Amino acid sequence: MSSAVQAQGTNVLTLERSQKRFARLVALPGMIVLVLLVVGPLAYMFFNSFFVKTLATPVPPRFAWFENYGNLFTDGRFWNAFLNTMIIMVIGIPVQSFLALVLALLLNKRFPGSRLIVALFLIPVMITPVVAGFEWKIILDNRFGPLNYVLSFFGVTPLAWLAKPVLAMISILIMDTWQWTPFVMVVLLAGLAAIPKQVYEASSVDGSSGRETLWRVTMPLLRPMFTLVILLRIIFIFKIFDPVQILTGGGPGVSTETLSVLTYIMGFKSFNVGMSSAIAVVQLVIITVIAKIFIGTVMNRREGKES
Amino acid sequence: MNTITLNREELARRKRIRTLFTVLRFLLILIFFVIFLFPVYWIAVGAFKVEGEFYHYPPIFWPSHFDFQNFVRGLTTFGGAEALVSSLIVALTNTVLVIAFGVLLAYSMGRFKVGGDNMSFFVLSLLFAPPVIATMPLFIIWKTLKMLDTYPVLFLSYILINMPFAVWIMKGFFEDIPHGIENAALLDGYSRFHAFRKYVLPLAVPGIAVTALFVFIFSWNEYLFALIFTRSQASTLPITLAGMTGGHEIPWGEISALSLIAILPGVILTLFFQKYLVRGLTFGAVKG
Repeated sequence: MSSAVQAQGTNVLTLERSQKRFARLVALPGMIVLVLLVVGPLAYMFFNSFFVKTLATPVPPRFAWFENYGNLFTDGRFWNAFLNTMIIMVIGIPVQSFLALVLALLLNKRFPGSRLIVALFLIPVMITPVVAGFEWKIILDNRFGPLNYVLSFFGVTPLAWLAKPVLAMISILIMDTWQWTPFVMVVLLAGLAAIPKQVYEASSVDGSSGRETLWRVTMPLLRPMFTLVILLRIIFIFKIFDPVQILTGGGPGVSTETLSVLTYIMGFKSFNVGMSSAIAVVQLVIITVIAKIFIGTVMNRREGKES
Repeated sequence: MNTITLNREELARRKRIRTLFTVLRFLLILIFFVIFLFPVYWIAVGAFKVEGEFYHYPPIFWPSHFDFQNFVRGLTTFGGAEALVSSLIVALTNTVLVIAFGVLLAYSMGRFKVGGDNMSFFVLSLLFAPPVIATMPLFIIWKTLKMLDTYPVLFLSYILINMPFAVWIMKGFFEDIPHGIENAALLDGYSRFHAFRKYVLPLAVPGIAVTALFVFIFSWNEYLFALIFTRSQASTLPITLAGMTGGHEIPWGEISALSLIAILPGVILTLFFQKYLVRGLTFGAVKG
């Protein structure tokens, strides 16, 4: 009896061990590629960030400890790019969340063709970013663009959208809002669909008005979705490059330069390897913190729900 | 009697209010719809305009006749056809590589929790990182290897962008497959690899296919790496598009025509795989 149990025990143990071995074995090719092509360059970047080094001159690189970081944090242009990125987040995300919430509530109740309407709304999300940039360049054109034409009916004199610093930033925000509001909407729609009908029934039995139900029932239940979508938007805004590069190129001057755009300019317009590596490391550190937060809030909650 | 008529009036009033709200609701949806779809409409119409119509005030919202010359000139004179071929080669090769190397890692992570939480954190961090940070080290590496402006530079570099995404999304799809599946095969004496290939993989095919479509589109749409790593030989569609603004008269008609071709894969994904779009873009956090 006891020997049988023991035999079974060792059996399970060997099974587990062979499973672990198999798991490691099949993970290996993918891991090698990840390390070689992803971690390798990032490690090299980290290494470069401690050197004074340029692409242009044949001067040998000089090890400089934290000089690049010091220069970066005292560089007005870095803080300008940081601020611009923050502005897109602090203004863009609330505006997009509000519009998306209105849109999600409008589209939440199904009607014939509503699925298709939602799908059409989502086209901006997967559009080629370069095309998005061009499209807004045409629309915002101060002489021939349709936006100034429409605004002229409201008595607005033609605006030079992309030539004035503040207007250029507003242009970026308009483009970003156009592209990402539908994404926020569809996430909120998924959240709304997950709210059980009984919750609303209970609320209406209590005699709550529509607005009370929205604030007391719907909004709290949507909170996890808002957390998720805000985190994702922060990550996406850190990545934003193509449409900004096409629409304004960071200009006029440096008024719409984001962190990604500045990293590109430092590296491939100023050819400063050290500085561009340092700013890249700073971004990687910020993103790692966000990934930690993402795991802490979004992933753990989901796992908690499942178990 | 009196109370009943009152109720009836009350009901009629409520019904009127409800109708009013429905009308208002659809009106608002319509306004949003027109605003959000207008830029897409503008590309589509622009592709068929003749050159002068872009420099016309007031703007032309509906061209007098539809002209296909923009497509012809865009594809030939402006090098759109070559760019299209480059984009296809790069995107397809990258997709095959990413899926081939990613699928087993995803299976291992999803099923056997290889590397545990640290592994998840590692992949997520790479997934969230802005691609621009990798441009400089990659540029130096490719330059040293004298590989700049070739297809391999692009489809290998795109592994960096797409592999963390593909692994993470496919991991989720493997987690969705019931756990008992392989055990039956193992009890029948099959090897673990056989169990994966014959029992798990067929169930994962839809998820893998959708992941592949995402990866294809990300490569197809990519601009930054292509901008830095190519010059002329391996220019993809976004690069050719961006390069068309070089002259002093910008050929908006041809740009619109090529743009319309460029956005096709993304539009197909949104229209036909909406459910997966949400899942993909939330990195699996919303199952759609």
